[in-house]
Amino acid sequence: MSELLNRNEPVPQAPYIATGVTISLASPMKRYSLRAREARTLESLLNVTVPKNIGAIEGGIACLGPDEWLLRVDADAPVPTGAGLPVAVTDISERSICLIVEGPRASEILMSGCPLDLDNFAVGRATRTIYETVEIIIIREAEDRYQVEVWRSFASWLWTALTNAACH
Amino acid sequence: MSGFRLKTGGRVDRSRSVQFSFDGKSYQGLAGDTLASALLANGVMLFGRSFKYHRPRGLMAAGSEEPNALISVDRGPGRFTPNLRATGVEIHDGLKAVSQNRWPSLATDFGAINDRLGMFLPAGFYNKTFMWPRSFWDKVYEPAIRKMAGLGDAPTEEDPDHYASTYAHCDLLIVGAGPAGIDAALAYLGSNKRVILIEEQDELGGGALADPSLWPWLERSNTALIDAPNITIMTRTTAFGYYHDNFIGAVQRLTDHLSTLGDGPREKLWRIRATEVVLAQGAIERPLVFDGNDTPGVMLSSAAMVFANRYGVAVGKSVALMASHDSGWHDVFAMAKAGVGISAIIDVRESVDEALMDEASRLGIDVHLNHSVTGVIGRQRVSSIQIYGSEGQKGRRIVCDALLMAGGWTPSVHLWSHSKGSLKWRDDLGAYVPDQPNENARCVGACSGDWSHGNGKVIDVLPTPKDQSRIKAFVDFQNDVTAKDILLAVREGFRSIEHIKRYTTNGMATDQGKTSNLNGLQIASSALTKPVPEIGLTSFRPPYTPQTFGALAGHAKGALFQPTRTTNIDSWAEANGAVFELVAQWRRARYFPKSDEDMHAAVNRECVAVRQSVGIFDASTLGKIEVVGPDAAEFLNRMYTNPWKALEPSRCRYGLLLKEDGFITDDGVSARLAPDRFHLTTTTGGAARVLNMMEDYLQTEWPDLDVWLTSTTEQYAVIALQGPNARKLLEPLVDGIDLSSEAFPHMAIREGTICGIPTRLFRVSFTGELGFEINVPTAYGRAVWERLMAEGAKYDITPYGTETMHVLRAEKGFIIVGQDTDGTVTPFDAGLDWAVGKKKPDFVGKRSMARPDIIALGRKQLVGLLTDDPNVVLEEGAQIVADPNQPIPMTMIGHVTSAYWSETLGRSIAFALVAGGHGMTGDTLHIPMPGKIYTAKVSGVVFYDPEGARLHV
Repeated sequence: MSELLNRNEPVPQAPYIATGVTISLASPMKRYSLRAREARTLESLLNVTVPKNIGAIEGGIACLGPDEWLLRVDADAPVPTGAGLPVAVTDISERSICLIVEGPRASEILMSGCPLDLDNFAVGRATRTIYETVEIIIIREAEDRYQVEVWRSFASWLWTALTNAACH
Repeated sequence: MSGFRLKTGGRVDRSRSVQFSFDGKSYQGLAGDTLASALLANGVMLFGRSFKYHRPRGLMAAGSEEPNALISVDRGPGRFTPNLRATGVEIHDGLKAVSQNRWPSLATDFGAINDRLGMFLPAGFYNKTFMWPRSFWDKVYEPAIRKMAGLGDAPTEEDPDHYASTYAHCDLLIVGAGPAGIDAALAYLGSNKRVILIEEQDELGGGALADPSLWPWLERSNTALIDAPNITIMTRTTAFGYYHDNFIGAVQRLTDHLSTLGDGPREKLWRIRATEVVLAQGAIERPLVFDGNDTPGVMLSSAAMVFANRYGVAVGKSVALMASHDSGWHDVFAMAKAGVGISAIIDVRESVDEALMDEASRLGIDVHLNHSVTGVIGRQRVSSIQIYGSEGQKGRRIVCDALLMAGGWTPSVHLWSHSKGSLKWRDDLGAYVPDQPNENARCVGACSGDWSHGNGKVIDVLPTPKDQSRIKAFVDFQNDVTAKDILLAVREGFRSIEHIKRYTTNGMATDQGKTSNLNGLQIASSALTKPVPEIGLTSFRPPYTPQTFGALAGHAKGALFQPTRTTNIDSWAEANGAVFELVAQWRRARYFPKSDEDMHAAVNRECVAVRQSVGIFDASTLGKIEVVGPDAAEFLNRMYTNPWKALEPSRCRYGLLLKEDGFITDDGVSARLAPDRFHLTTTTGGAARVLNMMEDYLQTEWPDLDVWLTSTTEQYAVIALQGPNARKLLEPLVDGIDLSSEAFPHMAIREGTICGIPTRLFRVSFTGELGFEINVPTAYGRAVWERLMAEGAKYDITPYGTETMHVLRAEKGFIIVGQDTDGTVTPFDAGLDWAVGKKKPDFVGKRSMARPDIIALGRKQLVGLLTDDPNVVLEEGAQIVADPNQPIPMTMIGHVTSAYWSETLGRSIAFALVAGGHGMTGDTLHIPMPGKIYTAKVSGVVFYDPEGARLHV
């Protein structure tokens, strides 16, 4: 029955296209916040290898902190809850949306409000950071392609800020 | 043209003329001119009126240190910019510039009466004169002074321009692209270092722009730098501040120099983090202090040379030089060669280098050594000067139309000082130069004291036979501070330059004393007969030059001023006419007026609908935290006042959160989903604060607990369905949950689906009615809401907003943390002692609850208030007194925290915090409000359905 109900997204479905950069809404996905005292507890629970270095990504799992990972998966496959184990698996699929910022000006557009040195932010890395006052997670997929995770209620502001930067 | 443009020379494009206006009069300049050089070429020497005495002022400098020639540029509505230095305004076709600080016109200014009254306006005049009578300050002195004070007119219209901003990172940031800055950049050609080179002018070169012999080198360097892929060049960019860890703020001016504006941003703020900073800010020539040194036509010798060689403009047809430094001699030699008529060189020194004397003689220039200028004749322009020899020669008069000052050089240590780099005094230069760095920074070129301008003599005031107290020898030209003001400050007992500066305002104008600080120091030093380093030095602060507010604000206006957080259902509320209010960063629907209803009518209707049938409310903004891990119950037991370990899965509990001080900081209903998983709710405004507080305890006090916190506020849209028909409405839409009263009691949670969407369904109530809170994944919030609205039509389902929510909860005696509490209210004060676990060994705030003042009698306690006139709704915040007949000021015993009209009860209700209130039930209290003192009786806080019969159905 859920197919009958429409999702309501905070930003336009149509991409914003400007010279040198395109900003678009990524498809919905499942997201889980993974927390654990020991990474190996998570590894045996989920049957995966989790990255140990902060900023690294392996198999859709980004290491955001010493005991914090973000799992992003397209599939609707069930993820075990880890009941009774010293871990926390929390569904945050709809907490954020993901914007894809792509094109030769992608870094320039993000650096209009993000204080990170993106020249030194390697492809394949992820980090939690800010754009002006808004918390975001950026994932560099390619030299000129980023995914930007932002909480839903801040998404419309971020969309306006990024498209504003892109049109100038 | 009036003949001040030299026949050849300069970097201006003589093939492109530019039309502009100044004070409504039309002029022609050349592409490459500044407003200053173009007006000079037209023979204009009067640029403005001074700040305090309204004296006529011309140009002193050719760069950003210019203190006098402040003008306004008008680019149409909202685009009026005051206080621009004429030396930094590039002309373009249609430029409209106007002078400032004069009325009715620049040539005839009535404010100049101040100049005649000058002897009555000494330093500290305002402080001394307007002290008494005190009552005159607000009505008389302050408005009058405010009218006279200030430079330029503040813009009154909204600025229509865009301002961009960005961060940038580099290995090396070079500030200043004169020869030293360019050399520093050239050293990195071909390297893999990221270099940013910042220059405030429109082209690279700095001092080299006024030295044609360096132009071929400049051309080669420019090309090499532009071609270098690792070097970013930013012209028309001012590094205005140097902050911690090599963080530099710079503003790039993008459109002010263009004749058409276009759509792009006017300016761009660069926030640059550099591994290393090279400061090549150069040095500023120092004026000399003598009577009449502010007359239009008296200017720095280096500036006149820049106007001649860079812009091809003669500052006069017969130019005299007053020097204490060799550099002025070189300047006039260069100008003579460029075709400027030089009438005389006067030097205060007894002798100078033979080579200078020879060159002067070769060029046929009269030289007067051991002489000084003692007077300047001419009011709106120099017509002649008086000079005087210190060995008793008779004074004589020299005819000239411009007088140059060469008083030596001051290294520009502004940014170095921002970075807290230390300075050392050099006697030979009479200046402070950079010493030890505080950041990874170094100074190169003239700003480090490294220059080849020759020798000079450091002098405070030029020798004069005149009475020092009768002359106007300016030190700070922008703030109109004279040498005698500084001498007065010393006579009145000021010893430190920091105090002298504040008393006289020397160096406190928008130019931050670029041309005045060192002269002020020298004069104070002589007067105190102490060396300069013992008097101190003044500090520089950002900005280096004034910047627009627009550049600093960036895009932060309109929709981008700050994020307004909206829920998934917000768009429905907007489409259905909701009136909104801001709660923390969130926008929430306050009420949903129908046709011509006012708030009162709409809220009454919404309240009745909830009590009689069913209402629907967007509660998505409530903070939500998922607490997960084997120690989750133990953690909550330590955080909240009440016991949590025994709470059964799928049940809910009200949680009360205190701070260490024992005062209530937040509350909310939370559910146990599984033995090791809780779904907490917090107040809307408290969400981030509570998560931070819990995370803080977890990380610092109890790192041993295996529990983790995740904000899930935005994971769920929350729809509150409240009213006797809530269950009937839900039943056909929900799968997998038995909604019956027996299977799903009040304060429980069930998981299932609604309209096919997974839901965490709470049975809770903030209204006192049968109620449910439906949590669904946020993206489906609006769709589920719309299904409920459609399905609920048969029950006349009524959307309600925060105002109705407030009334309904007040009827039931539920508090709102932050409205009925103020950070000094304990659980006992609020009547919530039932929510405090008496047997718990500890929880946050427990120890404070035994403090003497917390258990003392007479604390303010939360009570209900029923006005004797049931139609009177008290004002929230109104003060409460026990005896209305006391003289004012009365003893206030409390205040009203919440007050509403209750349509259900047909009367007003209120909460109040009253000293000793719990023991006053039935007592009459008095509430003075505008126009009348009202009476009310103290009651309990539950006004409606005290047995909770409506809840448990």
